Amino acid sequence: MQSTHAPFFKVLIANRGEIACRVMDTLGEMGIASVAVFHHSEHRARFVLMADESHEITGETPVAAYLDGNQIIEIARATGAQAIHPGYGFLSENADFARAVSEAGLVFIGPEPGSIELMGDKITSREFAEEHGVPVAPSVLTDGDLGTFIERASAIGFPLLIKASAGGGGKGMSIVNSAEELEENARVAASEAERYFGDATIYAERYVERPRHIEVQVVGDGAGNVVHLFERECSVQRRFQKIIEEAPSAGLPEELRERICAAAVRLASAANYRNAGTVEFILAPDGEFYFLEMNTRLQVEHPVSEMITGIDLVRMQVEIASGKPLSVSQADIQVDGHAIECRVCAEIPERDFIPATGKVLVLDPPEAPDIRFENGLVEGHNVTLSFDSMLAKLVVHGGDRSNAIDNTVRALRDTVLLGVETNLDYLARVADHPAFREGALHTGFVVEHADDLAAPEPDATDRNAALLAAALAFREFRTLAFDAPDPYAAMNGWRN
Amino acid sequence: MRRIQSAINTAGPDFRRNQDHYRRLVAELQEKQEKARRSRPERDVARLERQGKMLPRDRVEKLLDPGTPFLELSTLAANMDYDGESPGASIITGIGIVSGREVMIHADDSSVKGGAWYPLSVKKIIRCLDIALENHLPVIHLCDSAGGFLPLQSEVFPDRHMAGRIFRNQCLLSKAGIKQLSLVFGQCTAGGAYIPGLSDYNVIVRGTGAVFLGGPPLVKAATGEEVGVEELGGADMHTSVSGTCDYPAASEEEAIAIGREIVAQWDRPQKWPCQREEPADPYYDPEELYGILPDDIKKGFDIREVIARIVDGSRFHEYQPNYGTTLVCGFANIWGWKVGILGNNGVLFNDSSLKGAHFMELCNQNNTPLVFLQNITGYMIGQAYERRGITKDGAKMIMAQTCSRVPKFTVMCHGSFGAGNYGMCGRAFDGRFLFGWPGHQIGVMGGEQATNTLADVKIAQMQRNGEAIDPAVIEELRETTQAAYLEQLSAYYSTSQIWDDGILDPVDTRNALGMAITSSLNAPLGDPGYGIFRF
Amino acid sequence: MSLKLTMDGAAFDLDIVNLRPELGVEIDGQESVVIDHGTRDGVRTVVIDGRQFEFRQARDGNRVFLRLGGRNWVIDLVDPRDAALEGGSAADEIRAPMPGAIISLHKEVGATVKHGETVLTIESMKLQTNLVSPRDGIIASLLKSVDETFEKDEVIATLETEASDA
Repeated sequence: MQSTHAPFFKVLIANRGEIACRVMDTLGEMGIASVAVFHHSEHRARFVLMADESHEITGETPVAAYLDGNQIIEIARATGAQAIHPGYGFLSENADFARAVSEAGLVFIGPEPGSIELMGDKITSREFAEEHGVPVAPSVLTDGDLGTFIERASAIGFPLLIKASAGGGGKGMSIVNSAEELEENARVAASEAERYFGDATIYAERYVERPRHIEVQVVGDGAGNVVHLFERECSVQRRFQKIIEEAPSAGLPEELRERICAAAVRLASAANYRNAGTVEFILAPDGEFYFLEMNTRLQVEHPVSEMITGIDLVRMQVEIASGKPLSVSQADIQVDGHAIECRVCAEIPERDFIPATGKVLVLDPPEAPDIRFENGLVEGHNVTLSFDSMLAKLVVHGGDRSNAIDNTVRALRDTVLLGVETNLDYLARVADHPAFREGALHTGFVVEHADDLAAPEPDATDRNAALLAAALAFREFRTLAFDAPDPYAAMNGWRN
Repeated sequence: MRRIQSAINTAGPDFRRNQDHYRRLVAELQEKQEKARRSRPERDVARLERQGKMLPRDRVEKLLDPGTPFLELSTLAANMDYDGESPGASIITGIGIVSGREVMIHADDSSVKGGAWYPLSVKKIIRCLDIALENHLPVIHLCDSAGGFLPLQSEVFPDRHMAGRIFRNQCLLSKAGIKQLSLVFGQCTAGGAYIPGLSDYNVIVRGTGAVFLGGPPLVKAATGEEVGVEELGGADMHTSVSGTCDYPAASEEEAIAIGREIVAQWDRPQKWPCQREEPADPYYDPEELYGILPDDIKKGFDIREVIARIVDGSRFHEYQPNYGTTLVCGFANIWGWKVGILGNNGVLFNDSSLKGAHFMELCNQNNTPLVFLQNITGYMIGQAYERRGITKDGAKMIMAQTCSRVPKFTVMCHGSFGAGNYGMCGRAFDGRFLFGWPGHQIGVMGGEQATNTLADVKIAQMQRNGEAIDPAVIEELRETTQAAYLEQLSAYYSTSQIWDDGILDPVDTRNALGMAITSSLNAPLGDPGYGIFRF
Repeated sequence: MSLKLTMDGAAFDLDIVNLRPELGVEIDGQESVVIDHGTRDGVRTVVIDGRQFEFRQARDGNRVFLRLGGRNWVIDLVDPRDAALEGGSAADEIRAPMPGAIISLHKEVGATVKHGETVLTIESMKLQTNLVSPRDGIIASLLKSVDETFEKDEVIATLETEASDA
């Protein structure tokens, strides 16, 4: 039965995997029908089965299918969906798509296209932040002449971080410590930026040593109301990608937390921001913080904020998109306990985190009120290299940080996900590491503690048990072990 | 059935003395076996390694299912022949389990003179194929032989039971529906080529395996054609052109893996339903056999003490316990299988002969395999016994034994002299398997009697020639005669000639019989019927 | 040797040394007595040398994934026949299965090929057929070019006899 209070009766989710499932969960609660779009390689994925209706999209590659906005809008219209939720990634921060959705007479569950454009460009977003009193790290931008860029960049002082202006996800990023290194790396970064993003513009900014990645979850209704849901700490990263996030951050002085959150709200307010969004900062050990970027979409790690505030961000997104004003005031939003999210990825930590492929054969996540296992998996799910390696998110709540860590470590150990190599054990080692427990976090955490985090040499007893257990899984071995004919079997390896 | 009550005092001096004696015999056996199995010239081992070949025994071990038994046959064949140059007659044979199926294995031992076949090699192969035929055991040939040992070709090639018999047996096996698989590890030349040629399945190792009627040198000599081994008869040629072999293998390991997979496809023969109970270990420790077997061939012992250390739970149902007591007859189980046992407790008299014949008839009618435990000095001689018809009573026993339709198994426990050997299923009577214990002796008569007989003949001859009888000469004659005679009586001489299927450490007898009986049940029972018993 | 397994790049031989009364398996010279209590509700219980292990397992072909002792294990079975294949079990030649002509060559001399990979396409009796590499290896020679004809059993391509270690 359709809820009369629902802002929409049908929403298409232009995404896949765990986030599509996550959005559908809320849509379902709100009484809104969901439409999934899928590439045929995933025709039996959980999000496809979970949706009220599913439609195939095509493309040269599976990813290309999800980037084909026109095709998706066509399906939305054909199915009578009133709105499109973009999830994260793919078309979520594509202003042209947002515009095309509106032009098609549909609602884009996200910000105004102008906000996407403003925040989508590193340069304009920095300038905007600076204008509104949000601190930014000293930086310079290429202007076509690499020589002057190197000169200007060197003037900031080393170390420097080089980034592609249009980039994200760590591609084309590097840290340089001297002018010589800078020249070489700048060249490489520019060519990578050209190759990946079609834009060779790069910039250099002060590199903060042992920086922490702190981000603030904000929600605005585009009608002048902006609230924050406190900050998240995403310092534990590998290859520039977050793997463990938590809220609130570890041991942040209250005064600093307030300043950072206020800066984020200031920025969003200045942009008259509509939708959920995230303002990311770099926090230096000395307490200085610099604006990094603003993500104008739902973030992968949004559940940790939800868990400590009790707010459903997707519901807020949907309500705001339907034109409703913010239903909560800042005073309503309180922190309850601590939440940690671990990104469970199909990858091999021991081999520099290269993605792994396989098939989800056994999936048995832990179940408890303080655990959310966000995933788009079914047993039999094929894990390919077509999409991101993240399989699921294990989000765990606790009364305080220490309690949340204990719960996280236990939940990671209790998670059974077999059929593809994962970082589950690695995550458990990170979460259980004394430095993590102390909150001595920075973005180089996993590199700093690489030796401690390497897989320990297994206990010989466990190793032999595993080998024997594996052997027993093979029919070849079982036949030899248990099917030898009588009475020979009882003579064992007798020789005369 | 009741448990046999052993009367052995394991703490007594006789037991101790016997035990010391028999332990020495067993140690000697083990030493000889170890030597026959493992002792090889350095250069032969190095050559195999150079060729990327495994030692033949390692091949066998890899072929067998792990953790399963292997009953090796005639390990010490040829141990007293060819100056010991052909350990095990350069052939390994035995019954084992491959992919869960009982098989007979025949492996050429290329670690000895390139695996060349000596006359006794041929005899050993023929015997193993006979066993396969009689017991319906599939055969796996591990081929790696240089061919017949040329210096002795006249003893290898032409006669009825020489090399041709191998191929004749292969044909009969095939006709009987008994499968054969050849794994060609080395060259199979001339006659040897027919082993794969007559097998159902062949795997051949690329680079080392080859099959041809004439090797490259022979081809060149005969026709002038120059051709390499691979082109003439290598793995690729035979598996893709001639179709002589079926599966190429890159390595010996792979050949064995393919072979195991082939065997895994085979149907399992239905055994005939011999009565069976849950097996149980003997109540009495089989190691006590060492203290039971006397240290002198002339000393007697109670064969029930031996039975008690071989059969399940030491339990025995004795038939006619008070009649013909020099032949102990009764039912027992070995590894669960119901068997009828005949064991000697002295010379065979008229009554014991009749009892034996009668008991064998019972077993034939009851589908119960027969086990003979030989310790026999012969049938009783003398006027009284001849008048009572000891010859025709012995003949009845031989008739019943020969015509038995159930499988027969013989163990030479101690003495085996005279016609007793016949009545108790000696080698000539086609028992399915015959094993000897290291202290046993076989002869038409005992060593001392034979020596005396021979010495008497010699003295008579000297007297006829008018020669002086020098006691010293007589004594020396007696000694040399006895030494030569005793050598021929010995278990090692018997086994060297393949008069048996191998010497067993007595404690291994239970397992050997267990495997032999289990294998034998693959072949259906023969038709019942006897010739004429002379009454 | 009963079974060869690999784990984290290390190879282990598991030898069955005893079948009864309980299974005895030797790894690295150490024998363990193994009792398998089977799987219940997805959890398998195995007692090894008197110690009980409960674990979850999944098998994908020759690979086993285990959740045992609080960690994941990935263990692969080495099939003796596969191992041989990589080293060059099958023939060193690709022969024409029937007379015909070459339509296209998919590999060049010196190219690395996997077992089962198409090396060339032939046409015979109006039917196109891909000829594949009989094993992993390197193309040593291509004896025919496009449009050239050949007879049945003619060698069309050869592989290097032994994969070089370089």
